[in-house]
Amino acid sequence: MARVVGSRLGVGLALSVVAVVIVALLSSSTRLAVALGLGVAVLGVGATLVSLPAVRRDHPVVTRALISVVVVDLAVVLTFRVSATSNSNVAIGAAMAIVLLGLSFLTGSSGQISLGNGAFMGVGAFTVGIWADHHATTPLVVVLVLATVAGALVGLVLGLPATRLRGPYLAGMTLAFAVAFGAILNVFSSWTGGDSGLQLPSAVVAPHWLASYFGPGASTLTTSSAWLADISIVVTGVALFLMANLFASRTGRAMRLVRDNDVAAELVGVSLPRARVVAFTVSAAYAALGGALWTLVNNAVSPSTYGFVLSITILSLVVIGGIGTIPGAIIGGIIYAFSAGAISWLTAHLGLNPQGNVASQLDGIIFGGLLVLTIVFAPMGIAGLVRHGWRRWRRG
Amino acid sequence: MTGPSSTTPLLALEGVSVRFGGLQALRDVSFAVSPGEIVGLIGPNGAGKTTAFNVACGFVRPTSGRVVLPAAGVISPRATQLARAGVARTLQGVGLFPHVTVLENVMAGGQIRPGGGFVAGLLGLPRSVRAERQLRHDAAAMLERLGVASFAAALPGSIPYGVAKKVSVARALMCEPSLLLLDEPASGLDEAELSDFASLIRDLRATMGVLLVEHDMEFVMPLVDRLVVLDFGQVIASGTPGEVRVHEAVIAAYLGVEE
Repeated sequence: MARVVGSRLGVGLALSVVAVVIVALLSSSTRLAVALGLGVAVLGVGATLVSLPAVRRDHPVVTRALISVVVVDLAVVLTFRVSATSNSNVAIGAAMAIVLLGLSFLTGSSGQISLGNGAFMGVGAFTVGIWADHHATTPLVVVLVLATVAGALVGLVLGLPATRLRGPYLAGMTLAFAVAFGAILNVFSSWTGGDSGLQLPSAVVAPHWLASYFGPGASTLTTSSAWLADISIVVTGVALFLMANLFASRTGRAMRLVRDNDVAAELVGVSLPRARVVAFTVSAAYAALGGALWTLVNNAVSPSTYGFVLSITILSLVVIGGIGTIPGAIIGGIIYAFSAGAISWLTAHLGLNPQGNVASQLDGIIFGGLLVLTIVFAPMGIAGLVRHGWRRWRRG
Repeated sequence: MTGPSSTTPLLALEGVSVRFGGLQALRDVSFAVSPGEIVGLIGPNGAGKTTAFNVACGFVRPTSGRVVLPAAGVISPRATQLARAGVARTLQGVGLFPHVTVLENVMAGGQIRPGGGFVAGLLGLPRSVRAERQLRHDAAAMLERLGVASFAAALPGSIPYGVAKKVSVARALMCEPSLLLLDEPASGLDEAELSDFASLIRDLRATMGVLLVEHDMEFVMPLVDRLVVLDFGQVIASGTPGEVRVHEAVIAAYLGVEE
């Protein structure tokens, strides 16, 4: 055992040193290079420890924290190497991954369907917009927490009828919320800005202590979108860590039991209404957090973003990534992050008229096609395919 | 011959009647189960055994009369209150959760244990982690005790029926019940599995009362301390297997329906 730990640590250290060197060579700012390099080095050692089954089993929370930090750190390093456009896509995709985690918990774990998570995103997005209109100086973390709580409250209220509705009826209710959301925003147009939405009074900027790491170019478009991508990634990392805890906890088990056999779940003491409301509330809170990040990244919030189509996209992405799994949500987020770029690339290379019918429907066609392929050939999504492939490869 | 116990019963049905629309499923049914006692609920098909059982565990509400769990101080419990009141039941068939492993199925039996709060779970607090580790350990030990530990990582759909039955008992035992309700434990088991199961139930008597619904007489007769016989929704006899075997109403009921 000790020898295994020793040799793995050795490999981990060596890899870390290599990573530090690469980061240093690639980085334009020395202080950034040092910060990231150290981060990567610590993570290299942590990740190797986590690769030991005994550590994974006895310290699950530490393991999850380390994995989350590794994912976040790798993503953050990436944001310093890509263009501003890619970075705003990364920010959008990371926020989408949070939303997908929430829906994955609701649908994959507790077996309920929601077609309204796009509207729950809107709740978070507008909470940030409305709050910023009145209190422009509130710290970022507080704003994000507020938006999450707002989403949770709306989810709770809408989740109460969900305790009595199942399957298509529940889907119908969430659909009604998604469709009504735009009209609700219009009723409160003095707050929400009606059809035109809200513009944040001032752009979100990095705190001074962090901005100093970015060096003299801190005000350029490239660094500001890198910073926004980093916020999204870090928040996603926290959301990921918490969701992984929840999946593994008693609450997560309660969800799986309710989904599998509700009579037997009641017999072991699980309250079905409570489990269903909790799942609904968590999923709405996660959606709202994702929406809040979108407002920060776009610096504005528009009601047309949070229409019914978004809810369908969210559901499709969860299925394509792998329903009920955490990697599936991340995969879905990555797909979403790069779908805009990929679709405009396709439009150009297929020689389509960008204003034409086909081009404007291309994302729907591609997501729809992917969804059908996934359901037919990989019901557990890409995450399921990868896991299946990995098991076969290990068995040889 | 074990006489009626003088201690407080774990479960008592008091004058329970159940109507489903025009059908009188149960009429004025009363019986009790005491600690350390194995009670069998028998009767021809359609006699109301399952209804009586479902009333006992709160799935069906009595039209009149009541169900009392004196030890837990609960009257007419709902299904979700049972585990906390120290009552566990198995379902007809096996009633396992199909998409989680055998080990997690057994862990589900400890769902009401402390340390399972939402916030503690979300944040991964030490008490939540400790509680889960202990639960996993106890579930593995329970599978070991019932001799089915090698199936821990399997899904319920892929294990033999007899093993699945034991897993469902393992799950029921996880909440350390003082009363165990077994719904047709013998159905679908072969000879070897039956005698295995009978000795398991006898072992359980040391720490709890057992109520079982069963129609396999060869399984029930040597196992139980007392029998309650239902026919047309009424208790037609109750007593030791020896007494019931020679009871005229029982003989008539069974001869009347059996092939």
